[in-house]
Amino acid sequence: MSALRGRLGARLGPWLCDAGVIVAIGVFVVWSIAPLVWLVLSSILPQLSLIARPPQISPVHWTLDNYVTVIGSAAALGQGMLNSFIVASFTTAVALALGAPAAYALARLSVPRSDAVVLLILATQMLPAIAIAIPLFIVIARFGLIDTRLALIIVYLSFNLPIVIWILRGFFLGIPVGLERAAAVDGAGVIRTFWMIVLPISVPPLCAAVVFAFIESWNEFFFALILTRQNAETVPLVIAAFAGQYQTVFGQMMAAAVISIAPVILLAILSRNHIVRGFAEGMLKG
Amino acid sequence: MAHVELQGISKSYGHVVVCRDVNLEIEQGEFVTLLGPSGCGKTTTLNLIAGLDDPSSGDIRMEGRRVNALSPVQRDVAMVFQNYALYPHMTVAENIGFTLRLRGIRKAAIRARVEEVAASLELGDLLGRLPAQLSGGQQQRVAIGRALVREPKVFLFDEPFSNLDAALRLRMRAEVKELHQRLGVTSIFVTHDQEEAMSVSDRIAVMHHGRVEQFGTPEEIYASPATRYVATFIGSPQIELFTAVIERNGDEAALRIGPARIDLPAESYPGLAEGSAEGSKVEVGIRAEHVALADRGIAATVRLVQPVGPSTHVTLDWEGGTIVARLNGFARVERGSRVHLDLDTRHLLLFDRKTGQRIAAH
Repeated sequence: MSALRGRLGARLGPWLCDAGVIVAIGVFVVWSIAPLVWLVLSSILPQLSLIARPPQISPVHWTLDNYVTVIGSAAALGQGMLNSFIVASFTTAVALALGAPAAYALARLSVPRSDAVVLLILATQMLPAIAIAIPLFIVIARFGLIDTRLALIIVYLSFNLPIVIWILRGFFLGIPVGLERAAAVDGAGVIRTFWMIVLPISVPPLCAAVVFAFIESWNEFFFALILTRQNAETVPLVIAAFAGQYQTVFGQMMAAAVISIAPVILLAILSRNHIVRGFAEGMLKG
Repeated sequence: MAHVELQGISKSYGHVVVCRDVNLEIEQGEFVTLLGPSGCGKTTTLNLIAGLDDPSSGDIRMEGRRVNALSPVQRDVAMVFQNYALYPHMTVAENIGFTLRLRGIRKAAIRARVEEVAASLELGDLLGRLPAQLSGGQQQRVAIGRALVREPKVFLFDEPFSNLDAALRLRMRAEVKELHQRLGVTSIFVTHDQEEAMSVSDRIAVMHHGRVEQFGTPEEIYASPATRYVATFIGSPQIELFTAVIERNGDEAALRIGPARIDLPAESYPGLAEGSAEGSKVEVGIRAEHVALADRGIAATVRLVQPVGPSTHVTLDWEGGTIVARLNGFARVERGSRVHLDLDTRHLLLFDRKTGQRIAAH
């Protein structure tokens, strides 16, 4: 009897383990996707269905009116998307262009007390945004950059660059030193080694850094609120504007939000393919 | 091809001294191996020769010229690394041709040279593959191809076969030796495998704690080890060491190991007469091939019989301790049987107990 139970246990064990993993993944997926589903649902329901108790989410109520209104009437959304795109793209590009060499230097070159330098760089992230908001506003105003995209790019760089350095340095430290030594014997100096060997094998973390920096810049609200008026207004501000003094048009707000997250989701999907392919090919094998 | 000389090379990282006063003179076209256990400083020495690290003190000379301040490229060395260090994002052809590309050589010329080298290493069909798509042996060949492609003055090999299985290791070892015989390029090889070192080298530098204990031909290293360390590091099965007391009878000298007395032929140990006083203690090393079984001699009991094919290693207990005998073929000895030992006294190795230095050379 106990032998039979043992055999059953041995057969059921892996199955139970698989089932457990699937359930855990399922819970995580639902937990992650639920807000997104609610966002999309809210964008395709009329205001009355949405605020009804309980909300009337049946497909018979679904409508694209919110999208038609948002796209048709709000030129601000288009301008906001353009601003966000320019600010996020520049911030990401510059963060990578500066962050990757800095991370490599901190990982491999004989920078005195490089660990302390990295900690110091990361420590800049510990300050609450509100603590630096006023001094930052004064400095940006002095330079006459209020309500410019440049102001946002500079500010976003200041908090994206440390994270990009942190992500990439960790990866660079894990690259076998032998590769760089082989490059040195082959005749490559530091810059060519970095450019021709290190960067091409660092596509996965570079993609991760791109996604991170872009999303951070795309979504940022607080500094955009303080440092812009109208010209450089980014998407989060445009969306927030749907909450007016007398009325919050939830449906339109959600439709605008859905439109605004589309580029970010697209970027994440494209990068994910790169990241997965990079690891699948065993870029660092041997 | 180049003559390579290390003069008083030392290297430390902070307080950790990795190489201590290493002096080596490597002749043009010679195949020299740096042999020692991990952490003995052999790879560091190789990196210093390559120009990948700077010595803390001492000079490195190639063809008589001091090269301390020169980069690996300026020294014109090529290196094969332990983990191959192939560029994972480049094909076999790109890996081999990378060094030529850095030199600004035309694409057509690079392709021709890469194909020539690949053909000589039987890599012709694999030029379009990525390293991850190759077997260990193929990756190793690509690494060698990358070193071969630009005809360097010195080849450096850093434990190149340590990741290969035993059969492939033997094959690659033969290939590297043939390659050296064909090209005649000065080669410096690092390994912890004494058999590998013995089989490929013209000369071997045995390293220990950052020092060169002995630099000599494989035969010198094996038959006349300069120190106890070299004697124990080289040879399989490992040499057995016993503490012995020197006894004298006129010009004749003998060793007493426990209750056993071993007469030493005076012509084989000329240094013993001056060096050691009656009653002083030495360490005696006996290699397995110098122990035979006989009808008469020192009594012993067979503890373990290990046939290894061409020979049988027989572990024996005797009054002086444990000793291993290497007998030809499949020896017919039973565990537990009583036998007698015949030691070839012309080949005993005597060492100073304190310094570990050989005291009586023959």
